[in-house]
Formats: sequence, structure tokens, C-alpha cells
Amino acid sequence: MILRIFLSLIIVVGIVTSVKGQSSFFRMSITHMVGNDTMQRETNYYTPTGEPFTISRFRYFLSNFALLTADDKYISLAPTYFLIDESKPASKIIELPDIPSGKYKGVRFLLGVDSIKNVSGPQSGALAVESGMFWSWNSGYIMAQVEGHSPLIQSPTREFVFHVGGYKVKDQILKYISLTFPENLELSGKQNVTLQMTADLNKWFLPDTIRFQQQPVIMAPSYQAKRIAANYQHMFQIIGIQK
Amino acid sequence: MKYKATYIVAGFCLLIVLVQGAIVQQKPMPVQLIFPAHFPPPVYDFKHNPLTRQGIALGRFMFYDFRLSKDSTVSCGFCHQQFAAFGHFDHALAHGVAGGQGIRSVPTLFNLIWQKEFMWDGGVNHLDIQPLTPLTDRNEMASDLPDLLTKMRSDTQYRRMFKEAYGSDSITSERMFKAFSQFVATMISANAKYDSVMLHKADFTAEEAAGYKIYQKKCAACHKEPLFTDFSYRSNGLPYLEALNDVGRMKITGSTDDNLRFKVPSLRNVLKSAPYMHDGRFFDIFQVFDFYDHGIKVTATTDPLVKDGLSLNAQEKRQLYFFLNTLTDDSFIKNEGLSEILIN
Repeated sequence: MILRIFLSLIIVVGIVTSVKGQSSFFRMSITHMVGNDTMQRETNYYTPTGEPFTISRFRYFLSNFALLTADDKYISLAPTYFLIDESKPASKIIELPDIPSGKYKGVRFLLGVDSIKNVSGPQSGALAVESGMFWSWNSGYIMAQVEGHSPLIQSPTREFVFHVGGYKVKDQILKYISLTFPENLELSGKQNVTLQMTADLNKWFLPDTIRFQQQPVIMAPSYQAKRIAANYQHMFQIIGIQK
Repeated sequence: MKYKATYIVAGFCLLIVLVQGAIVQQKPMPVQLIFPAHFPPPVYDFKHNPLTRQGIALGRFMFYDFRLSKDSTVSCGFCHQQFAAFGHFDHALAHGVAGGQGIRSVPTLFNLIWQKEFMWDGGVNHLDIQPLTPLTDRNEMASDLPDLLTKMRSDTQYRRMFKEAYGSDSITSERMFKAFSQFVATMISANAKYDSVMLHKADFTAEEAAGYKIYQKKCAACHKEPLFTDFSYRSNGLPYLEALNDVGRMKITGSTDDNLRFKVPSLRNVLKSAPYMHDGRFFDIFQVFDFYDHGIKVTATTDPLVKDGLSLNAQEKRQLYFFLNTLTDDSFIKNEGLSEILIN
């Protein structure tokens, strides 16, 4: 009996490791852009409507990754959360291990942190609140933020602060981003795939035109935050895949 | 010679037993809270934060550690004083490091595991994340969280206490917050005279009983038994103060219907936790009675239950006072397991 249990255990472990051994490794490399330029902090840029500004901080959460199979099914990947930070190059490379073999035509992810993690108390890792990406006075994650300056802003600091968050129904700004691969991606065995992506900050300002003078400070779940989120859901683009 | 080997082996075995004993001793010891029989089940989920003796001890140590504030002057217990049911005795508004002052009074702390939302406006949605606000608010402890974690990681005593509580000395914000909850979860106040009466172990005096009747008729709809709050947000007709400009729950929801609404506070230990109201404007419970009798200023959001005042005559106020006195839980206020510990 014991021997049988032992043997079946070996078989199970064997299967698990062999399956693991056959999974692929997915890497997403994100380049931040402002229009056609690669983003650099404290550099002069113009919004699509011609307003001058500089960027001092650009951060956002990505989570809830899933792959779209060739037959239109979403395969959810292990739940992981990433805080992408322009000032931290390593954060702009996302690693998703254990991708099962299959034929895929796209990827989907959440720009932000799902509502469950917003109501579950303190977390660790990327979601640890000491990042400052969590509102203490009105619990919830700041899903995406950009801070900078514009000479058009009348306040003493000329600073704009867009902290975009809100998970409750009324102020919900969570956006699923679906991107289609340039061509179907066939994964079998152990493969390393790198997806080259861009995230264009200038997409935050259009099509619903955001002007610095109108509302330079957005720091709460609000109508203004919803406007920006509706814009920024279009900021990602796949520019290449390397196998 | 033959014995020597035996002695060595025996000695070695003894050593193993002792070492293992030491390890076993260091293991976090589970604690099972006893919930009051006449209370509903708590809403806090202990599955994600099982109580241990060491976790509670860590939480208590941090609660009274003034070094957790930016300039090491203010601890949680600085404002949350046990003798005032963990409110701030004689302080209308909360104050913190470097003379900072907020716009609200310090809420009492007890029975928080029955509560889903925190702060006067309910802006905080989980007990575990609640300490983030006072720790970092510039008018309270004004700490920068990454700095605070660095400070704690460099402290050998904290490393030891985290190891005892969690099995490893890694000090993360999640562990820190959860240890606070462990201590705060033990702040249960359910042993006042009122509770003894409900459990048929004591009787109200004639005046207390009369006061209980008045309470049931005029207060209980919001200050619901047995927790003495229904945890709702209501505008009780307290005149708005321009100087503080506190819109209450509207700040959280952005809805004008929530203007001037604040959380209904518990009446337990109420006579120990003056001053009253979200801005501490009343220093005496009789001022509160007078306010409900004839001080209500009706606005668009004022609760229908108090719109016309509660009309309390002198005798009723006196009886109500005697009833409220039966909500004072001395065993809680004097519970040595919750008392301040000296931090060196």
C-alpha cells in the first residue's frame, strides 16, 4: 500500500515537472513614449493639443494577464501584479513564466489592480502600500499616475498631478487592455518570447481632451479620473515579437 | 571507554531535544478569541491573519512605540488612551507631531472586528489598512512609510519580534499592518453592566431601566444594540462649522446626498470618551442631550429620525445618563493585556 502511494506520488511529481518543463516563458518589454519620442523625465514635450509639459513621474499597475488562443478562448495566467515605473528600467520588463503550449493571437491585461485587491487590506510585493500608490484617506490603489510641470498651470509650483484610481461602481476606472499579436504565436516546448510594446503618454490627453489649466490636480476617484482612464486605455501598442 | 561513547551519544540527543524545544517555544502560539455570546459573529476574517500570542505582542509594542512617528514623539497610544476607551481624553481635535492638528476627534477603539469601514467618514475599507492613515497623516504621526520600514528593519528588537510572530525576521508593511490588527482585535468591550443585565447576571436600577426605555425609544434606531451603532453614516443635524469645513462622507463618495454625514459612533464607554461628535465640540454628555433636544439644524441631508429633535426633559436626561453609565466597561478600560508598555 505504502509502496503504491509512493509510486503514484512519483508519477504525479513526474507529470507536474514534465509539464512545467514544457512551458514557455513570456517577457513583455515596455518602452514609454511621448508621441514619437522615447520618454525621458524632465524633458520638454507637447501634448497632442500643443500644451508644453515635462514629466517627473510616470507609474502604473498591470495585472490579470491572459492569453487569447487562436480559437478565441482566454487562458488566465498565474495572478501577478506589476508596478511599472519610468524611473526603474527593470520594472519595464514584465516576466510571465509557465505559459502553456498553444496557438495564441493576443494578450489581455488589466491596467490597474482588480477590485478584490483594493478591499483586501495590505499586500506585499508590487502591491505593498509604501510605493505611495495607495490612498490612505479613501482606501484604494492609484492605478496609474503621471506627475510633471507645465508653464500653463497657474499654481505656484506649476505642477500637474494625475493620480487615477477608483474601483467602486460609481468611479470605476479599471480598464482591460486587449492587444492582438502581429501574427499568431505558436508556443510548444520551452520557448522564450519577448513582446515589444510601447506605452504612449500622449494618449492620456485625447480623444477626450485633457488640458492642464482645467484640472491640474486629480487625486481622487472622480469624473476627471474616469475621463483620463477612458483615454489612456489606448496607450499600449505591440511593436514586435521576438522568439 | 564503552560508556564514553554512550555519554557522547546521549549528550548529543539531549542537545537535539533542547534545541528542538527552543524552536518549538519560538513558534507563534495560536490565540482563540472568545466572542461575546450576545454579539453577532465578527466581520473580520481571521483566516488571513490568524491571531498568535507573539503577533498580538508585536502589535501592542508597535501601538505604544512613539518611534513610529516621524520625530519619535507620538505613538498610537498617545491619542488612543485606554482610560478613555482608546479615545483622546479632553481633546476635541486630533493632534500629532510638530503641533499639527486635524479636523476631527480621535475615535474610540473597541469592537473593531465587527466594523467594516473605518474613520468618521468610512473612507478606510479594511481594518488591516487602517493604521496607514494615522501613521502617515502629516497632522498625526507624519511618517514616511519606506523610512519607517527602514527604521524598523535596523532595530534588533523589531527583527526579533517579527521573527517570533511570523517565523522570519522579514519586516514588511503587510506584516506590520496585520500585527496592529492582531492587537486591536483583542480590544473587545462587552462586559459592562448592560451586558450583565442582558445575560441575566444583574439588574438595572429603576433609573437605569427608565433610561434604557428612553434609549430604546429615542436612540436605538441608530445606536443599535448590542454594538450600539448600526455603522451607518448619518447627518444628525450638527451645525456645520465653516472653520473646519468638514463635509463628512461626501468627501469619500462624491455624492451630495452624503454631505455632513458621519459614521454613527458606538455608545459603549461613552461616558469615558468625551468630548463628543466628529469634531469633539461637546465636552459633556448633557450638552449632547441638549443638542438633540433643541440644537438640531436641519439641512437637506439631516436624518428624518432627528429632524424634529428628540425632546428630552430634565428627568429623562438624568435617566438616560444613568443608562449610558451602564455601558462603561471597566474590565476593558482596565484590561492589563491592553495597557501601555514602556518602550526603551
